Parts: sequence; C-alpha cells; structure tokens
Amino acid sequence: MPTIKIEGTGEQFEQTESQDCILRAGLTAGYGLAYECNSGGCGTCKFQLIEGEIEEPWPTAPALSARDIKKGRKLACQCKAKTDLVIKMRTDPEYAPINLPARFEATLSSRRDVTSDIVEFCFQAPDSADAKFLPGQYAMLTFPDGRGPRAYSMSNLPNGDGVWEFWIRRKPGGEVSGALFDELRVGGRIVVDGPYGHAYLRAESERDILCIAGGSGISPMLSIARGVLMDPDMEGRQVHFYFGGRTPDDLCGLDELKVLPGFQERVHYHPAISMPEESPEWTGDTGFIHEIVENQLGNELSRFECYLAGPPPMVQATTKMLQLQGNVPTGQIHYDPFY
Amino acid sequence: MNDANDRKHFYVCKEDDLADNEMVRIDPPDQPPVVVYKVGGNFFATDNTCTHGEASLAEGEVDDDFIIECPFHGGTFDIRTGEAVDFPCVLPLKSYPVTVEGGCVYVNLDEGKAPA
Ligand SMILES: Cc1cc2nc3c(=O)[nH]c(=O)nc-3n(C[C@H](O)[C@H](O)[C@H](O)COP(=O)(O)OP(=O)(O)OC[C@H]3O[C@@H](n4cnc5c(N)ncnc54)[C@H](O)[C@@H]3O)c2cc1C
Ligand code: FES
Ligand code: FES
Repeated sequence: MPTIKIEGTGEQFEQTESQDCILRAGLTAGYGLAYECNSGGCGTCKFQLIEGEIEEPWPTAPALSARDIKKGRKLACQCKAKTDLVIKMRTDPEYAPINLPARFEATLSSRRDVTSDIVEFCFQAPDSADAKFLPGQYAMLTFPDGRGPRAYSMSNLPNGDGVWEFWIRRKPGGEVSGALFDELRVGGRIVVDGPYGHAYLRAESERDILCIAGGSGISPMLSIARGVLMDPDMEGRQVHFYFGGRTPDDLCGLDELKVLPGFQERVHYHPAISMPEESPEWTGDTGFIHEIVENQLGNELSRFECYLAGPPPMVQATTKMLQLQGNVPTGQIHYDPFY
Repeated sequence: MNDANDRKHFYVCKEDDLADNEMVRIDPPDQPPVVVYKVGGNFFATDNTCTHGEASLAEGEVDDDFIIECPFHGGTFDIRTGEAVDFPCVLPLKSYPVTVEGGCVYVNLDEGKAPA
C-alpha cells in the first residue's frame, strides 16, 4: 500500500487497494487536496512528482497543456501511485471534504425516463447506509468490470435510506453513459465513490438563490432547489431557476419542483431553448441561458448566491457574465463544469 | 511621490528596482491589487488576484514567455493581454498600460481592460 507525502506540509496518506487515484485517496483520508472535476478536465489537481513512480493511464487528459507536459505536471485525479511518493501539490482547508467520501457497491433500485435522453437512476447503498452528501455534490460511478469512473451529480437530497439518485444524459457515442442506459437494469450493480464537489448549497447564506442549469446540469440544480425548499432554516429564500435546453423536449424538472412545499410562492422557473428554428411552436425565451439571465436580472445579480451546472462552455460563459457584467463576487459563484 | 488621485499615472517603482522575470504587487486605494511584471526589459501589469481562486499572482512565477503561473494550482495567464492560457484558469485578468518615464514606472489604473 503506497504512502503519499505532500512536500513541505507534513501531510501524508495511504492509497489503499481499492483506490483508483492519488486525489481520491487523499480526500478520503480527509486532506484538502485541490480539485474540482475529478475527471481530467479542469486542471485544479495539478501536481509535481518529486519522488517515486506513478501510473498515468490518461497522459493526454484535456486539462494538461503542452506547457504542463513540458514542465512535468500531472493530474492527481488521473494518476495512481505505484510506489511510495513525494509530491508537490496545493492543499487548502476549503477543499477538505465535509463528509468523507466512501466507496461501495450499490444496486439499481429503479430507473425512469425523464426526457428522450435523460434517465433517472436510483441506487440503493448496502444495508441502507446513510446517503451522506450536500445538495449539489457528485459521486464517481464505475462499473464493477472497471469501465469508468465518470462523475454524476446527485439529484435527490441526503437521506437515511441509502438512496443515491442521479439524472443522467446519454452522450451520443459515450462509453459510460451509453452502458448505463443500455446495460443497467433494476438489480444491476455499480460502484459509487463519493461525495465530491464544492458547488454545494450554502445553507448559511442569507441571499436569495439563482440556479442556472444547462442540459444534464439539471441534476445538481434539482438537488439544490429541493435542499432550499425542504430546509426550514432557509424559509425566507426565493429560488430563481433558469434552465436552458436545445429544444422544448430537453426541458424537465418542473414536475419535481412543483411538488415541493412553497413552490408557488418561492420558485421562479424560467425555461429557455437555444435552437428555436427546430420548434416553431415555442413561445418562451430563446437564446443562450447566460444572456437570458443577464437580460432579466442584470444589475440585481450581485444579490444572489449563484449555482451553475452544465457543459463547460455554458458554465464558463455564465461565470464570466456573472463576474464581469453582474459584479458578483467569486465567493458567491458555485459551479461544476461537466467535463 | 504618489498623488492618491492620480490613477492614470500611478507610481509603481524605479525601473531598476525589478530585474527581468521579477514582479511587484501594488495596492492602490479603492481597487483590488495589481501586479507589475518586468520581462525582456519591458513592463506589464495585470490584476494581482487569480480569477480561479484567491491567490496572489505576485507570489507565482513569470517566465521569458510572458506567462505568469499562479502559485496555487498552476493555472497561467499571458501578462501582455490578461488572457487565461492554462487550466484551471479560464476567465481573463484585466491588464493595464504601463509607462516608464525618467527611470520611474507608472501604471494607468483607469485603463484596465479584459480581453474580449
Ligand atoms: C463534476 C461533474 C458532474 C457531472 N454530473 C453529471 C450529471 O449529473 N448528469 C450527467 O448526465 N452527466 C454529468 N457529468 C458528465 C459525465 O461525467 C460524463 O462526462 C458524461 O456522462 C459522458 O461520459 P461517457 O462515458 O458517456 O462519454 P465519453 O465520451 O466516453 O467520456 C467522456 C468523459 O469521460 C472522461 N474520459 C474520457 N476518456 C478518458 C480516459 N481515457 N480516462 C479517464 N477518463 C476519461 C472525461 O471526463 C470525458 O469528458 C458530470 C461531469 C462532471 C465533471
Ligand atoms: S480535478 Fe483533476 S483535472 Fe479536474
Ligand atoms: S487560484 Fe490560481 S490557479 Fe487556482
């Protein structure tokens, strides 16, 4: 079992047999290793190898630039220790897990079509162990035969019944989402490793809430909205929920929001589509979701606690708009680009 | 030496105070800190706070290739334009015009621009 030491910090942890990368081994041990996506896309988990040998199954992960490769930078979410290691990497208490991640095999208890390409998958943890996470977080899913992992955000709320619910979109030609759709039936098994992620609901914030979802970004935004409406301490908060799809067929989530207590008074649901040429019957908003948010909330934006999820270009354009046009402080923007 | 209102002509340091590939952070009143770099004998200035997190870029490393690397997670920016170059940095920094007059370096804080 290799031991990994982080240079100059006194922090060290072990990578156990079942752990598949340095990053998740460190987080599971409770250390605040810097990360965001867990998927090789964001570059936050970059480190420098000082001593020891690693396995790097995906050396061309998109987060590594030619400059990173030249300088010998690696991604902790894509590398596994082969021997004891010394690494140089940023750790910070803000990245330390609030609920320690755990890895377990769960059973599919139900699946339901939400739209033509989004399915709700509900997994049951063994012995109904508490599903401990914060609304807005995600877990890594891996097939028992090793395919994966991929990150998927929970759409439900933490619970004592061991239920982990995900809304997953089939990516055309996608390996893992395709296999989930085509192979996984009720009773089937999947390895869950989580929770991870920093775009979780800040229940202590007094601000109203702005949720902005694109495509499959609906999953964590549903969890956030549910979290706000079900938490008695957040009673005074309004939720502005913006959801962008390509066509009206992509729009979903309203039925689930409507059944929440206080929906009528507190939730403002704004759907929009980006390909109106395909749906002449659509009379609602059209265009990119960040432009619609800017047009409608413009100079009010800085009064919101903002949560964003969806494809990276949508999350980047929206973050840029919130910071530059909306003057929203970085600390009020919580995002997960779905690399 | 520094008129606090003189935002268009804000004194930074002497030309010789910085060697190549060195930088200095300045904290003008009523605005976030700015960092002034010297590379290849020329001066450049950008916002000092990384757009990815709350890191001070003046504590990072700047190279001959005009790239500033953030000390936290290794993201980078082009110091000439403020453009984000390497992940995890995605949003640009503002960059500011710098002039050297009589051996003194000045930055124009009113002309900070983020690339489109
Ligand atoms: C934080 C986060 C949360 C997410 N939440 C959701 C969600 O709630 N619902 C949803 O539908 N989708 C979500 N996604 C997207 C999801 O993780 C997958 O990217 C998507 O399902 C496509 O996976 P695929 O295997 O079908 O497609 P593929 O095209 O086969 O794989 C795409 C992704 O897999 C990873 N990958 C590709 N090649 C390799 C390799 N050689 N080694 C390691 N990794 C590789 C990369 O991250 C790549 O983007 C989320 C992504 C992130 C980062
Ligand atoms: S956390 Fe490793 S690249 Fe995003
Ligand atoms: S804070 Fe600068 S790269 Fe993360």
